[in-house]
Amino acid sequence: MGAIRFDNVGKVFGRANSGFAALEAVDLDIREREFVAIVGPSGCGKTTCLRMVAGFESVSSGRVLVNDRVVKAPGSDRAVVFQQFALFPWKTVRQNIEFGLRNKRTPRDERNELVDDVLKLMTLESHRDAYPHQLSGGMQQRVAIARAYVLDPDVLLMDEPFGALDAQTRVVMQEELVRLARINPRTVLFITHAVEEAVYLADRVAIMSRRPGTIKEVIDVKTVRTSEDWDGFEKIEDVMDLESFVHLRTRIWKSLREEKVAVDG
Amino acid sequence: MRNRKAMVGLGAIAGVVLLWFALTRWFGIIPIGRFPTPGEFWDALKQIELRGFAGSRLHAHALHSLRLIVISFLVAVATGIPLGLLMGWNRRAEALINPVFMLIRPIPPLAWIPLAILWLGLGDAAKVMVIWFAAFVPSVINAHAGVRNIDRSMIEAARMMGTPPHRLVMEVIVPAAMPMIFTGLRLSLQASWTTLVAAELVGALVGVGFVLNVAQQDIFPAMILVGMLTVGVLGWFTTYVLGLVERRVLAWSVQGRA
Repeated sequence: MGAIRFDNVGKVFGRANSGFAALEAVDLDIREREFVAIVGPSGCGKTTCLRMVAGFESVSSGRVLVNDRVVKAPGSDRAVVFQQFALFPWKTVRQNIEFGLRNKRTPRDERNELVDDVLKLMTLESHRDAYPHQLSGGMQQRVAIARAYVLDPDVLLMDEPFGALDAQTRVVMQEELVRLARINPRTVLFITHAVEEAVYLADRVAIMSRRPGTIKEVIDVKTVRTSEDWDGFEKIEDVMDLESFVHLRTRIWKSLREEKVAVDG
Repeated sequence: MRNRKAMVGLGAIAGVVLLWFALTRWFGIIPIGRFPTPGEFWDALKQIELRGFAGSRLHAHALHSLRLIVISFLVAVATGIPLGLLMGWNRRAEALINPVFMLIRPIPPLAWIPLAILWLGLGDAAKVMVIWFAAFVPSVINAHAGVRNIDRSMIEAARMMGTPPHRLVMEVIVPAAMPMIFTGLRLSLQASWTTLVAAELVGALVGVGFVLNVAQQDIFPAMILVGMLTVGVLGWFTTYVLGLVERRVLAWSVQGRA
């Protein structure tokens, strides 16, 4: 479960003939349990792509499919992790995580069990009764990830989830996400503008062109990761030192650079 | 820390009382008869509470006014907040109601007094109507703004979790708007007192505003001061109670903690 498909997707904001085109002919297939990162220059429409899968934004042309069904509205089969966390500040950590399960009418006992499990998974047990404003940014994002995971979604949509975190916290969260993906693999669509993050986390990296955005190139990371055994390293910096990592990073960086130059020139 | 703050507050009040003694008694800077001395004030206070003034004793006047405030305020809040929430959430409702509201809103609440007296007489009903109007407006405006200012991603988060409409309203929209709603409630409460005193000045048979009115006709400055300070104390008390409620309801927020 959880295949995502962009089929010739276009998006025009504003009126159909006078608005501006944000996306044009976006084609991308994401397989079940695959981790795909989209990188691209700012304003290229990568977040719009994610919002379309989430059901927050409509398409102007083409189709977005999840599990071979056209996306029409938001739903808990596609959990979103927002850049600004978007936790409910009036609810405790536990209540925030529990909220979606209550919508699903999960029986109380099962609900408590699921919440306890995910609290443990994200090492949030000691903060269960805290309010979001009492937590650091990294901790808040852990809660947001827990809130998404507990829904048992087919697809996890992450919109620059570590963009608001400081550099050290970000590294910890990246390692954490890799650990999670191993324990409990999901289809993940991950938006970022940090190339290293994309290479470290994703099976494939899709590079978008500048506006109107389209998928310019899709780079396979997984083959290299497997053959070079990146997963054998515990620390992110050890992976980032590998020649194979640097090579991929540079390649993506150059491809993005062309887009930047095209804008500036 | 809180104790210390209370001590400073009491000290400041004591300071004002000392200054009052100094100006009216010790140095005679304020001429006799212009402003009551603390002694005259005390005598007036004893007179109204022990023997009555303007038809009742002080606590009867005060309780009557307080009761009117509580009733009118609750009615205003119970009608104003839902209307504001509705306007904030539903574009169609906003388009329909807002123009009418914008037109009625600038009318000072006191301008309703003649009509209220004409319709409902000099009794309590007319006052409830006028205070209701005064307290209604800030409740609506702030509940409206509270909903309009909700972080969009908060709503989206709720939608991606498959939240049904009634839970979206009760567990997301209302709490998210709550800090602004309380700002509105504080303004509403202040407006209620202002309007009550004015309404009782114009026409009443009991109440603190009526005390002020009679004291003025009797040229009795000490009693005027008694009436004014009674309003001050009652106003402080109701604000204090509202603050307690707010601290409980908004315990989760950064402001609520302070």
